[in-house]
Amino acid sequence: MASPSFRGRRILVACGLSGAFILVIVRLVNLQVMQSAELTVKADRQHQKNVTLEGARGTIYDRNSKVLAMNMDVPSVFGVPASLGNPGTAARNLSPILHVKATELEKKLKQEKHFVWLARKLEPEQGRRLERLGLDGVGVVMEGRRFYPKGPLLSHVLGFAGMDDRGLEGVELRYEQYLRGEKRAVVLQRDALGRAVFPKGLNEEGAAAGHSLTLTVDEVVQYIAEKELDEAVTRSSAKSGTMIVMDPRTGAVLAMAVSPRFDPNTVGALAPDRWRNRALTDTYEPGSTMKAVIAAAALEEKVMTPGSMIYGENGQFAIANTIIHDHEKAGWMTFAQMIQKSSNIGAAKVGMALGEWRVFDYLKEFGFGDKSGIDLPGETAGLLRGPRQWGKRSLASISMGQEVGVTPLQMVTAISAIANGGVLMKPYVVSEIRNGKGQLVAQNMPQAKRRVISADTARTLTTLLEGVVTNGTGGKAAIPGFRVAGKTGTAQKVDPRTGKYSSTLLVGSFLGYVPAEDPRLAMIVVIDEPRGEGWGGVVAAPVFRRVGEQVLNYMGVAVDEPVKLAMAGLES
Amino acid sequence: MKAVAFAAVTSLVLLFVWERVDIVRIGYHIERLKAQKVLLERERDELQVKLSGLTAPERIARLASDKLGMLQPEKGQVVVINFEPETPANPVAAEGEIRIAKNMVTRRAR
Repeated sequence: MASPSFRGRRILVACGLSGAFILVIVRLVNLQVMQSAELTVKADRQHQKNVTLEGARGTIYDRNSKVLAMNMDVPSVFGVPASLGNPGTAARNLSPILHVKATELEKKLKQEKHFVWLARKLEPEQGRRLERLGLDGVGVVMEGRRFYPKGPLLSHVLGFAGMDDRGLEGVELRYEQYLRGEKRAVVLQRDALGRAVFPKGLNEEGAAAGHSLTLTVDEVVQYIAEKELDEAVTRSSAKSGTMIVMDPRTGAVLAMAVSPRFDPNTVGALAPDRWRNRALTDTYEPGSTMKAVIAAAALEEKVMTPGSMIYGENGQFAIANTIIHDHEKAGWMTFAQMIQKSSNIGAAKVGMALGEWRVFDYLKEFGFGDKSGIDLPGETAGLLRGPRQWGKRSLASISMGQEVGVTPLQMVTAISAIANGGVLMKPYVVSEIRNGKGQLVAQNMPQAKRRVISADTARTLTTLLEGVVTNGTGGKAAIPGFRVAGKTGTAQKVDPRTGKYSSTLLVGSFLGYVPAEDPRLAMIVVIDEPRGEGWGGVVAAPVFRRVGEQVLNYMGVAVDEPVKLAMAGLES
Repeated sequence: MKAVAFAAVTSLVLLFVWERVDIVRIGYHIERLKAQKVLLERERDELQVKLSGLTAPERIARLASDKLGMLQPEKGQVVVINFEPETPANPVAAEGEIRIAKNMVTRRAR
């Protein structure tokens, strides 16, 4: 039996333990019940971190799945001035890596701020060098940056995305809603050291990447078009140049080149004028290339046949107190010869035979005066006034491609309609949209807008346009082994100083398709303000030939007429 | 009996604690793998951009002409012809046509 003193001590200890236990219970009730709501919020604030994740911007591919634009995480560098020991030393160490003057960096690092950006969206290698440097008070975060690995290739169509990863021009702007990555707010669990720990749900996925786009453009065809166009613009000291290569059967754009080009990777310093896609934003008077459309109308309406005779007025034709000139004086000529020789007087007479409304209606039918509906931003409708607004000379002028404003895209879409047998197609540059998992989201299919001329008329006109290349003004567009149909154009521009047509400011162009029998390519070449001989047949037709020859070879299109073999001087 | 019950309860408690600790350990492991995945994806993207830049037609054409001395084919040096045997039953004749064409070019070129 325990002694009374031992028993007393036991009771004392029991009371002490019970008291302590009761205190713990009271404290627990106080924490878990009384202050539960408030402390839960505090704990969550310490353990959880709300972050907004943004999926990478979608990739843009050419028709053969070659990457044209893609996002990559790159390092951005920030400084925490308060944590820096010596801003001067840090600035000197950072300067050669960031390629920023040490004095500029030092100025930033001496600011009384908690956070300053030192450089954003650098090359990955710069980030690795910074990590090796290991400076206190200098940190690196990763941000998505848009890369255009092919440089200036297709820049006017692709456009570009800004510093905030939003599309600002071209396809990047037009398809912003698809390309943009998903934004998702997530809650991260953190431990005492601030590290992310076990996620709430194992199946929780990050923000989905933006959709990828597949273009109709072929990077090789685009390269050929840009190279040849650049050379032609340089050779002729022209102000600019535009070229479009289209599949006339579908309206798919295979290449769209504008010279001079720009590099979308370094767009910041450039004026907006440089990145404007002139192929669909700039209008010009098409000149004689418009005669192809007038001829289509005349043949369709049976106003003319290839053998119809037209009097050339020996090169001078008075109309509405003005005189229309032809470069080659002609007397009687057939309708076919009128097209071949590109007679202005002949075209004016054909237009007059058709009448104002029929000319206007056909121009509208071929898509002039309206946007083509291509899936690119900034397209203009051009300028086509109604006959009620026409002057006395307008019918004649419009028939030879004056007093009407068109875009190169409208012209190539119109010639495609003649090439494919009379159906106006809607042009497009994006063929497929796929989500981050590669599943098809949307598809652009060839879309016929309307029939503009009959297949018979298209065939007859093709023969006439072949004559332009074999016997007429477009001889330099001839491609060995292929029958080429096309039309040259040389338009005078209005001199902004005088307000009158200039004899030196010209737009030379060539519009055509090849092979004439079963066209695979419809192309337009427009050279703006070439120096020296500015005729379309001189400055633009050779570009058509060089591009056509290379692209047909690349596409493996078989010859459609006997060809002389250069290596042996033989006929196959 | 009491000892068994005590052991069972203790085991359950230990199992619960072990499970919680293991969940945290696996959580850290998952986070490490996720970080590794991000790094690998970055490397993949970087290589993709490099590859795309290196295979740019402009660069290939420049290297072909400057380093390898290659030239664009002259007018008419490349002739693509359509060759589709009309009747599969007589493939020999069709093959013969091609051979003749090649021989002709070779012979006359000499």
